[in-house]
Amino acid sequence: MESRRGLLKKTIGGAVLLGAAAAVPVALRKTKLRETTAQLKFFSPAEYSIWAAVAERVLARDATPATAEEARLTGFVERPAAPSPAQIDVAAKADAFLSPLPAGDAKDLKQLLALFDNALFSFVTGGPATPFTQMDAAQQDAHLRAWQTSRLAIRRTGFQAMKRLCAAVYFGSPETFASVGYPGPPYELVKTVLESRK
Amino acid sequence: MIHAGSDTDLVLKPDVCIVGSGPGGSMVASRLARAGAKVVVLEEGGHNTKEQFDMQEPRAFQRLYQDRGNRATADLSIAVLQGRSIGGGTVINWTTSYRTPDAVLEYWRKLQGSLLTPEILKPHFEEVEERLGIQKIDYEDTNPNNRTIYDGCKKLGWQVDTTKRNVRGCLRTGYCGMGCPVDAKQSAALTYLPDAIAAGAEVYANCRVQKIESNGKHAVAAVGVVLHPQTQEATGRTIRVEPRVLVVSGGALNSPALLLRSGIDQGPVGKKTWLHPTIAVGAFYKDAIEGYYGAPQSVASHHFAHRGENAGFFLEAAPVHPMLSAIATPGYGAPLRGRLSRLPNLCATISLMIDGFDEAEAGGTVTLRNDGGPKLDYPFTPRMHECFTAGMKAIAQLHLANGALEVQTFHNDPVHIKAESDLRNIDSRPMGPNLLAAFTAHQMGGCRMGADPAHSVVDPQLRHHAVTNLYVVDGSVLPTALGVNPMESIYGISSWAAGNIKAALS
Repeated sequence: MESRRGLLKKTIGGAVLLGAAAAVPVALRKTKLRETTAQLKFFSPAEYSIWAAVAERVLARDATPATAEEARLTGFVERPAAPSPAQIDVAAKADAFLSPLPAGDAKDLKQLLALFDNALFSFVTGGPATPFTQMDAAQQDAHLRAWQTSRLAIRRTGFQAMKRLCAAVYFGSPETFASVGYPGPPYELVKTVLESRK
Repeated sequence: MIHAGSDTDLVLKPDVCIVGSGPGGSMVASRLARAGAKVVVLEEGGHNTKEQFDMQEPRAFQRLYQDRGNRATADLSIAVLQGRSIGGGTVINWTTSYRTPDAVLEYWRKLQGSLLTPEILKPHFEEVEERLGIQKIDYEDTNPNNRTIYDGCKKLGWQVDTTKRNVRGCLRTGYCGMGCPVDAKQSAALTYLPDAIAAGAEVYANCRVQKIESNGKHAVAAVGVVLHPQTQEATGRTIRVEPRVLVVSGGALNSPALLLRSGIDQGPVGKKTWLHPTIAVGAFYKDAIEGYYGAPQSVASHHFAHRGENAGFFLEAAPVHPMLSAIATPGYGAPLRGRLSRLPNLCATISLMIDGFDEAEAGGTVTLRNDGGPKLDYPFTPRMHECFTAGMKAIAQLHLANGALEVQTFHNDPVHIKAESDLRNIDSRPMGPNLLAAFTAHQMGGCRMGADPAHSVVDPQLRHHAVTNLYVVDGSVLPTALGVNPMESIYGISSWAAGNIKAALS
C-alpha cells in the first residue's frame, strides 16, 4: 500500500477529480454511517462505513453477475456456507492493516474513499447522485463495475486497491477456507515430522 | 550472532559493512568473514524462524514481504512479491534454482563489458549447489499443478523439464512462500549467514539503513535506525557503521533507493529495472489438483524463451493458496466467489516475460517516495502486451491439450476458453494497467554493472564507479533479466564478487 504514493495526483484527470470532490457541498457528501465496536486506528467512522459497504458488495454472496457470460461460466461449486464480510469484520481488519501507512499514502487512500462515496462524482461519471453507501445493491454493483472498467486509470487503480485488500483480508481468514474448498495447512504432518527430528 | 536490533545507540567500525542479508549479502558475508575480515551485516527485516512459519498467508505476508506484502508499482498494476527478512527473498521464494544461462552472460559481455563467463562462474555455482542441496526434482514428486504443465507441453512437443530445487528433506507441504515450516528449504538464513556468523560476523536484524554518508569518492558510514522487532516502528535508537568497505545488498528496488537517498546518484541509478513481468492463467480440471499442496514450483518450459524480435517468455506454476488466489482472481461478488469455489480443481500457470533484451526497452524506474522508500514505475508497453497475449495463448493451448475442462485468463473480464477456436478472443480483450492481474517475483537491475559509467552504476567488478570503497552485490547489478529464476545467479555472482572485495581489502 505504501507504493500508492501519488495515487490521485498521478494524472491530470486525477487532479481534476480531486478538485471536483472538494467542491461538492457537504450536504451531498453524507456517508451512511455504520456502527463499529472496533477501536479504529486508521479510518474515520465515515471511512470505516465506506470500506464496510465496499466489502459487502466485493464479497457479496448474492451479487448480480457482471455479464450474462459471467453468469453462465462462473457457477458455484457447492461448498459450506461462507461467513459474511461483516462477520469477519473486513473493514476493521483493513483498518488494522492500514494503520502503519506513511502519511502521504494514508492521505491518498482517504481521498480515494471520499471520491468513491461522493454523490456528485458518481453523477458526473454517469451514476446516480447518491453516495455509494446510500445506493441499493444493484447500484453499488454498477458503481464498482464502473470503477473497475473505467477509462480513467485512476479509477481502475482505486478499484483494485479496495478489491484486493478486501479479498486478502476475507479469504486469508481461516473461517472462509471451507467456502473455497481449501482444507487448510497440514499442521499434523509438520508437527509429526518436527517431533521425529528432535 | 544475530542481534534482534539494539537497546542502545550503536557505533561500529568493522572491515566490511553489508546492507542486506539476502543471497548477495549473506554470500559476501560468508566469504569475507571466512577470509578473516571483521564483518557486520545490517538487515531491515526481522529474524524469522520455522517456529513462526505457521503456514497462514496474512501473517506470512505481513512478516516476510516488503511493504507487508503490499508492494506494487506506483499505479498498482504490477504486484511486487519481494522478501524482507533475515535471509531476504531466499526465505520466501519457491526454491527454483538455475545457473545464469550462457547466452545471457555473453549478451552482458557484449552489451556492458561484463567480465562474467560460464567458466568463471562454474566453480561458484558448483559450490552453491553443494551448499544449498540443489537437485533436480523427479517427475513423480511434482504436484498436479506442475505436472499438468509438463504433460501438456510434452503432448505438444514443447520443451519442458522438471526444475532444480534448494531443499533437503523436503516434505513438499506447499508452503515455501510463507517460510518453510520444517527448515527443508536451504535459505541463506540457514546456510551462508550461519557460515558467516561461525566465522565471526555480527548480524543485526531490524536495522533500517537510511543513508550512506560519503564525500563523493569514499563511503564513510552507513547510518540507520533500529526498528521494534514486532511493530517494525522506529525505536529511537540509531546505528552507525564506519567500515573500510561498504557493500550494498538490499536487492533490486531497495539498493537503488538507498543510493538515491544518499545522493550517490551518478549514472543510471534506478533505471533499467527488470521484473520478469508475469501474468497467470487458470485451468480447471475435472479431477482435484489441490495446487496449495506439493512443491509449489517444480516444472518449467522455456520453449518460448527466444522469439526473435518479440520478448521471450517462460512458463512455470504458481501455488494457489486462497488469499493470493483471491487477490489475483478477476471480478467481485458472485463471479469472484464462483471462481474461488473451484479452487481445488484449479491449475495456475504463469508466463514470465523476459525483459531487457531489446535495447530500446526502458523497463522499470526506481525513484523515491516522500518517505524515502522506493517508488517503482513500470510502463505498460506494446511489447509487453504482445508477450502477455502470446503467453496466455500458450498456457491455454497446453492445458487444452492436457484435457482441462476450461481455461480462464485473469483479465478483468476473463476470456473463457474451451477450445482452440476461443483463443482469438484473447486478442480483443483490452489490456493495460489494472485491466488484468500482473505481478513480479523476480526483481533485477537498477544498479546495473558495466564498463561505461554513463550506462552503469557499478563497474564490472561490482565496485561503484565514483565511490571507490562501495560495492553493490545483489540482483540490482544484473544488466538484463535472466530468463530463469534469479536466486542461484545472485548467489554465484556474489560469490565471485566477494573475491574482488577480498582483493580490495588486502
